[in-house]
Amino acid sequence: MTNLYIFIEFVLLGLLASGLSALIALSFVLVYKGTHVVNFAAGEVMMLGAYLYYTGAVVLQLHPAAALFISLVGISLVSVAIEAFVLRPLAGQPTISILMATIGMASLLHGSVEIIWGQSPLETPALLPRFPVNWGEVMIPGAAIGNFVISSLLIAAVVTFFRFTQTGIEMRATASDPVTAASLGVDIRAAQRMTWILAGLTGTLAGTLIVSSGSVSPALASVALSVFSVVILGGLDSVTGVILASLIVGVLESLTVGYIDGKMRDVFPYVVVLAVLVVRPFGLSGTHEIERL
Amino acid sequence: MTRNRRQVLKTAGATALLGASAWRPAFAKDKADIVIGAAHPMTGFMSFAGVASNYAMGDYINWRNQSGGVLGHKIRYVGEDSAYKVDQGVAVVKKMIASEKPSFIFLDGSPLSKAVARDVLATGTVMTGGFSSSEALLDQTLYPHHFLSGPTFGATCQILMEYIGRIAKASGNVPKIALVTSDQEWGTESNFHLKARAEKLGLPIVQDIVTKPTGVDVTSEVAKLRRSKPDIVIFQGYIMNPVPEFVRQMREAGINAQVMSTTYGVDRIMYDALAKNGERLTGVMPYRYGYDTDSKMMTTMREYVAKVRPQQESISLFYIHAWLTGMIFCEVAERCIKANKNLTLPNMKAALESIKDWDTGGLTGLLADLSTHQIKSGRVYSYDPASKRMEPASGWIRV
Amino acid sequence: MRTGVFFENYGAEEQLWDSQTAKTMMAVFVVALYLLPLWGSDYMVAMACIVGIHLIAVMGLNITTGSAGLISLSQAAFMGVGCYAVSWFARWGIPFWLALPMAGLLAALIGMVVGLPSLRVKGMYFAIATLAAHFVLSFLFREWTPVTGGPGGVNIPAANFFGIELVGDHRMFYPIYICVLLLGLAAANITRSYVGRAFIAVRDRDISAEILGVNLLRYKVLAFMLGSFYAGVAGGLLGYFYGAITAEYFTFGLSVFYVAAIIVGGLGRVLGSVLGAVFMTFVPESLRLMSSALSGSIPSLANLLLPMGQVVFGILIIIFLIFEPRGLAQMWARVRRAFHLWPFRT
Repeated sequence: MTNLYIFIEFVLLGLLASGLSALIALSFVLVYKGTHVVNFAAGEVMMLGAYLYYTGAVVLQLHPAAALFISLVGISLVSVAIEAFVLRPLAGQPTISILMATIGMASLLHGSVEIIWGQSPLETPALLPRFPVNWGEVMIPGAAIGNFVISSLLIAAVVTFFRFTQTGIEMRATASDPVTAASLGVDIRAAQRMTWILAGLTGTLAGTLIVSSGSVSPALASVALSVFSVVILGGLDSVTGVILASLIVGVLESLTVGYIDGKMRDVFPYVVVLAVLVVRPFGLSGTHEIERL
Repeated sequence: MTRNRRQVLKTAGATALLGASAWRPAFAKDKADIVIGAAHPMTGFMSFAGVASNYAMGDYINWRNQSGGVLGHKIRYVGEDSAYKVDQGVAVVKKMIASEKPSFIFLDGSPLSKAVARDVLATGTVMTGGFSSSEALLDQTLYPHHFLSGPTFGATCQILMEYIGRIAKASGNVPKIALVTSDQEWGTESNFHLKARAEKLGLPIVQDIVTKPTGVDVTSEVAKLRRSKPDIVIFQGYIMNPVPEFVRQMREAGINAQVMSTTYGVDRIMYDALAKNGERLTGVMPYRYGYDTDSKMMTTMREYVAKVRPQQESISLFYIHAWLTGMIFCEVAERCIKANKNLTLPNMKAALESIKDWDTGGLTGLLADLSTHQIKSGRVYSYDPASKRMEPASGWIRV
Repeated sequence: MRTGVFFENYGAEEQLWDSQTAKTMMAVFVVALYLLPLWGSDYMVAMACIVGIHLIAVMGLNITTGSAGLISLSQAAFMGVGCYAVSWFARWGIPFWLALPMAGLLAALIGMVVGLPSLRVKGMYFAIATLAAHFVLSFLFREWTPVTGGPGGVNIPAANFFGIELVGDHRMFYPIYICVLLLGLAAANITRSYVGRAFIAVRDRDISAEILGVNLLRYKVLAFMLGSFYAGVAGGLLGYFYGAITAEYFTFGLSVFYVAAIIVGGLGRVLGSVLGAVFMTFVPESLRLMSSALSGSIPSLANLLLPMGQVVFGILIIIFLIFEPRGLAQMWARVRRAFHLWPFRT
C-alpha cells in the first residue's frame, strides 16, 4: 500500500504545483490570443512584478497584500508602456522581428532589474500563510495548497471575465477578427492594451507566489522558459488547453522526479515540447492555423 | 523612414564613433615591480563573489604595499571584470598578459582557468590561482602553473565525512545520510567524493537527490527524501537557494535531520537564511570566519576593511579566499626574490611547492602546505543561535 | 564619384562585386585583414579571432533564418556539437583541416535530425521547437559524461599544420579567417544561386514556392543543415582556439545573441552577418572599456555601466527593429549609394 501512497503523493504534488505554471502559461496564451505574439519577455515581466512586490513589502514595509496591489499596478503601467512603445510600432512586421522585439524587451527588463535591485537574492515575506497537510502517509508541504487555490481562483476569474463582461467579449472579438470588431465599434487598441495588462497581472501573481516561499532573484525569469511545454501542449491560444496541459505536465514532472531522477526534470519539459510538435503541433485544443495565400 | 529618423541615427552614429575613438585610460601608470592581475566576476550571477574578491585583492595589495611590499618591491594590482563569461574573461586575460605583463593572475572559475591555460603556459612567466576548487585543475601536465587557495571540493567533502564518522564512532549510532546535490560541476564533484568517503567509512547513504541548479519548486524532491528518513542531509553545490525552502518543507514533512553543507555553501548568506527559520547549519569551512578573533591576519583584515570601507558589514568567504590568494602570490614572489631567482614559471612553481608549514597568520588554522598545489585542511563549524554565528565544532582536520 | 554601374550581360549582373572599384577595395581589405597579426596589437588579434568564430556561426544563422525564414534559437547548441566533435576527432589524430569539415557535417546531421520533425510546424512554433532542441542538447552536453566530459568539459589538443603547432592567437588567426573567407564566399554564392532564390521564396511565401516547384521539405531541411554546418565549423574552431571548453559556454543567451546579430546586421546578406557580428561583439566590449576608463574618475557610474550591457543590448535590438528593420547592411548600402551618387542626392 505504501507504494500506492507514494504514487498518490507525487501525483497530488504535481497537480498542486501545476497551478503556478498554469498562471504563467495563461499569460502567454492571453498575449498570443489577443495579439498573435509569443511573448518571450513573460518571464522578465513576472520577475519585475515579483521585485515590485519585494519593494513594497520590504523597502516600503507594507502589508504583503498592499505590496501585491502596488506590484500589480506597477506591472499594468509597464505592460501599457511595452504595448505602446515596442509592439505598436512593430505591428505588421514579420514574425522574427516581433520575436526579437520581445527578446530585446526581456533583456532590457532583466538588465534594469539587475541595475535597480542588484543581482543577489533578496528575502521576501510570504504572501499566504502556509498549510502543511498530513494525511497519514501522504504529506503536502505548506505553500502548495495555498498557491493552487489562489491560482485556480485567478484563472476562474479570468475565464469568467472573458465570458461574461463587456470588455472581455470585446477582447475576444478583437482576437478573432480585428477588422470586423473595429467595424462594430470595438476599440481595438484598448482591447490589445487590456490583453497585455491582464497577461502582466497573471504573470506577476505567479511570480509573487513563487517568491513568497523564499527569496527573489534575477534567476526567476528562467522559470518561464520551462512553461513553454505547457503552452505548446495545450495550444498557444487555448485557455482550457493550457489548464489541462499544466495539470498533465505537472504530474508528469513530479513523477519524473519521484521515479527517475531530479536532473531529468530539467530537460523533461523540452522533450515534451518536441514530442508534441511532432505528433500534434497545435496541442490539445489550439486552433489549426489556416494558411492565407 | 522619414528624414528625421535618418538624421537622428546619423548623428547618434557619429557621436558613438567619436566617443569610441576618444577613450584612452588617461591616468599615468606608476612603475611597479610585481604585477598581479585578476579577472573577477564583478557582474553577472557571481557578482557577490567577484565584487568581494576585487576588494579583497586590492585591499591586501594596498596593505602589503604600506607594509613595505615584497622585500621592497611595490606590487601593482590590475583588476578587471570577466562577468563570469569565458569570452570576456579570456579577452581580459589576454589583454592583461599583453599590456600589463603580470606575474600572477587571479581567475574567476574553472571554465576560464581551463580556457586560458594554454596562453598562460605559453608566456612561461605567469602563475594563476582563483576561485575554482575543482580537482581537474590539479593536473600537473595541463595546469602546472595553477594552484588552489584551499582544499578541493572533494577534500572538503572528505573532511565532512571524517567528522561525521568520528561522531558516529563516539556516539555508537550510525547516522543515515542523504545527499542533495545541485547539478553543476561543483555539486557533482562533491557528490562523488562524499559517496566514496562514506563508503570507506561505512556510513550509509540512503538517498541521493540531484536538483536543477536553479530549482524553484522542490516539493517532489522533499517528498522523495521523506521516504528515506535520513538523520543528516548534506547540501552540495548551493550558495543559498533553494536550501531554506527545502529545509522548511523538510521540517513540515517531519524530517528532523541535521543540515550540513561545505565550502561556498557555508557562508553568511546561507547560515543567516537558515537561521531565520530557526535552523542551525553545520559545515566545513577551509578558513576561519571573518569575525574570528583568534587569528592575527583576520584581525588585520578586519581593521583594514573598517578603515577603508566602513560600510562593508562583514567579510565573506570569497573575500578571505581572494585575500589568501594574494598572500600566496606574494609569498611565492618573496621566496623567488630571496633566492635571487627570476619570476619564471619553473622558479615560481618550485617556490610554491616549497611552501610547507607556512604561517598564514591563522587564516587557514593550521600551517599551510602548498606542495600539492592546494591547502588540504579545514574545520567543521556549527551555527550557534546565541551568538548568531558559526562557531567551531571540531579541531582543524587535515586530509 | 562613380555613378551608375552598367551591366552588359546577365553574368555581370550576378557578380558579387559589381565594379572594378569594389573589387579593388575588397582585395585591399582582405590583404589588410590577413596582415592583421603583423600590424595589430595582441588584444586586437585576440578579439579578431573571437569575432571571426562568432562570424561563422552568424553567417550560418543568416542562411537558415535570414534567407530561408526558419527562426533558429539553437545555433549555440550546434556550435557545441561541433566543438565536442572536434575534441574527439583531434584525439583520434585527425588533422584539423579534416576535423573541421567533419565536425560541420556531424552538426549538419544532427541539424537534420532536429529539423525534420520540427519542419512540420511553422514560424513561432518552429522557433519554440528549436528552443526545446537547444535545451535538450544542452542537457546532453552537461550529462553525457563519457562523450562530453560532463560539467567538467573537454580538452582539445592543439591544431597541427604539418608540424607547426597552431597555438596562440597569431597562429589560430589564419585558420579562422581562411574559414571565414571560404564560408563567406560560399554563403554569398548560395544567395545568388538557385538554392538561395529557393530559400528566399520559401521565406516569403512558401505555398507559392511549392506551386512553383520548390520542394519545401528538401529546401527547408537544407537551409537548416547549412546553418548547422556553419555552426559546427565555428564550434570546432572555438575548440582549437580555447583548448578547453565546458558546456556552460553554449547557453541559450548565446543563441539569442546570434539572432540579435543577424537582425541588427541585416537578414539574408553576408555583409549583414559581418556587420552584425562585429557590432554585437564590440558593444559589450566597448562598454567594458568605457567603464574601466571612467572608473578612474567616476567610480559609481562605472559600476552601473557594467550591468547596463543587457539593457543596452535590449534597447539596441528594439531601436533597430523599429527604425532600421533591414539592419546595418541597409544603412551601409544607403551610405554607399550616397557616395556613388554624390554630388547628387539619392
